[in-house]
Amino acid sequence: MTGFHVDAGVLAAYAEGGLADVDAWSVEAHLDRCADCRTSIASDASTALVVEAVAVSLGSRLPTQGRVRRATGWRRVRVLVGAGPAARAAWLLSVAVTGVLTAGLAVSPTVVPPWLLLLIAPALPAVGTALSYGPRTDPLHELIAGTPQGGLRIVLWRTLTVLAGAAPVAVLAGAVTGIGTPGLWLLPCIALTALTLALGSLIEPAYAALVVAGAWAVVVLAPPVGGLAVLVSSGPGWLGVTAVAAVVVYLRRERVGRQPA
Amino acid sequence: MTTVSVDGLRVSYGKRVVFDDLDLDLGVGVHGLLGPNGAGKTTLMRVLATVLRPDRGDVRLLGHRIDDPAALRQARRQLGYLPQAFGFYPRFTVREFVEYFAWLKEMPPGQIPLAVDRAIERVGLLERADDRMKHLSGGMLRRAGIAQAIVNDPRLLLLDEPTAGLDPEQRVQFRALLRELGLDTVVLVSTHLVEDVVAACTRVNLVDGGRLVFTGLPDELIAAGGDGDSGDSPIERGYTAVLRGARTAPR
Repeated sequence: MTGFHVDAGVLAAYAEGGLADVDAWSVEAHLDRCADCRTSIASDASTALVVEAVAVSLGSRLPTQGRVRRATGWRRVRVLVGAGPAARAAWLLSVAVTGVLTAGLAVSPTVVPPWLLLLIAPALPAVGTALSYGPRTDPLHELIAGTPQGGLRIVLWRTLTVLAGAAPVAVLAGAVTGIGTPGLWLLPCIALTALTLALGSLIEPAYAALVVAGAWAVVVLAPPVGGLAVLVSSGPGWLGVTAVAAVVVYLRRERVGRQPA
Repeated sequence: MTTVSVDGLRVSYGKRVVFDDLDLDLGVGVHGLLGPNGAGKTTLMRVLATVLRPDRGDVRLLGHRIDDPAALRQARRQLGYLPQAFGFYPRFTVREFVEYFAWLKEMPPGQIPLAVDRAIERVGLLERADDRMKHLSGGMLRRAGIAQAIVNDPRLLLLDEPTAGLDPEQRVQFRALLRELGLDTVVLVSTHLVEDVVAACTRVNLVDGGRLVFTGLPDELIAAGGDGDSGDSPIERGYTAVLRGARTAPR
């Protein structure tokens, strides 16, 4: 240890290689003996901060590479909607089968009884929605449930996708069966889906869909079968059910798509 | 302040109580979470990841109370979580997978493309970034999982068994990444590999039987062990000594 220390400016010049050889040697000779000067040369915090800031600002100016898509609003919708339902294939298949059944009925009413379509078509979106989220059917559920867009927001995106696929089939089925007004088939579709979402905030969505579809089957199959047209066309009733379910979903929004109960 | 505090936490699955009155405080740095199987490591992770709702207790993540929806949303934006087991959509590429979570975590859109690439680069998967998830090996899937956890530069990062399935070389790289992240982030790493703790953690927490039985520096855990304790390394001996002490002590 010595009482003498190298001037900070000289040390900085040495660190940057800015000293003449002879001066540099004498600084090195001193550094060999003086721990204080060695530590002050090592790296001071402010330099590290500057380097960090430069790295960050350079990083933001770098061009993106590979197949990176620009983050536009359209891209956001595409990702959030398209990423979706795990059970997509199975569910799409059932929508297609219903479409085929509808076509079959159009050809010959004896092959496919009209009530069968009424049983299936409005329940399809409810089932599809429940399959698109929840721990049992969404492989990413655990990861998504911890994100701010997870829960009700992502569930609504997926519900929208499911309805967009299933609703036209339901309207078509309504037109072919002649039960009630075709456009009104949308109402039970939406009401049953909303009910499933509401119930899915209490029990697991897959079970919620089972309960709702079961209840629907009881309503459709219970006598008198002749009253099916009334069933579809009771607009205010369906709107009421939808409204109640929507309120429940809103009140329990933290539970939808996350941990139910 | 970038901290996590848990006060009087109670969690149960039906009748089985996992935690009863657990207190825990975490500051910036890498915290190891050790404990035997079934001690509640994953349960604690899931509570902190806001996936599992506790029965009771005061949980604050980065200053946000998790029982207030608006605050919870703020906290979730700054959170990264890698579960022990997670699925994936097989048709997703690695890049789409990470991008999906960037959107879900409500990152500012302008930052997303670069953040996605940076996260993938940090886990060393950039060359496989456009491969579909179903074509990845187990270790690569785990690294993709780590990438989605760090894509939003979280201030609280929860990693449940992150080194499972990684080969020794990847494990070394991962520990370097951990040390780097721990400079400005609260990182909680659950592991059953005590050598992970020595190599990468600034503090260790040990849970057993639903209680926090040890919290301190890795050196302190090592010091707890004696020659008579079973284990192949000093820290393993410390680990078994603390567990034995906790189990024989009256509750």
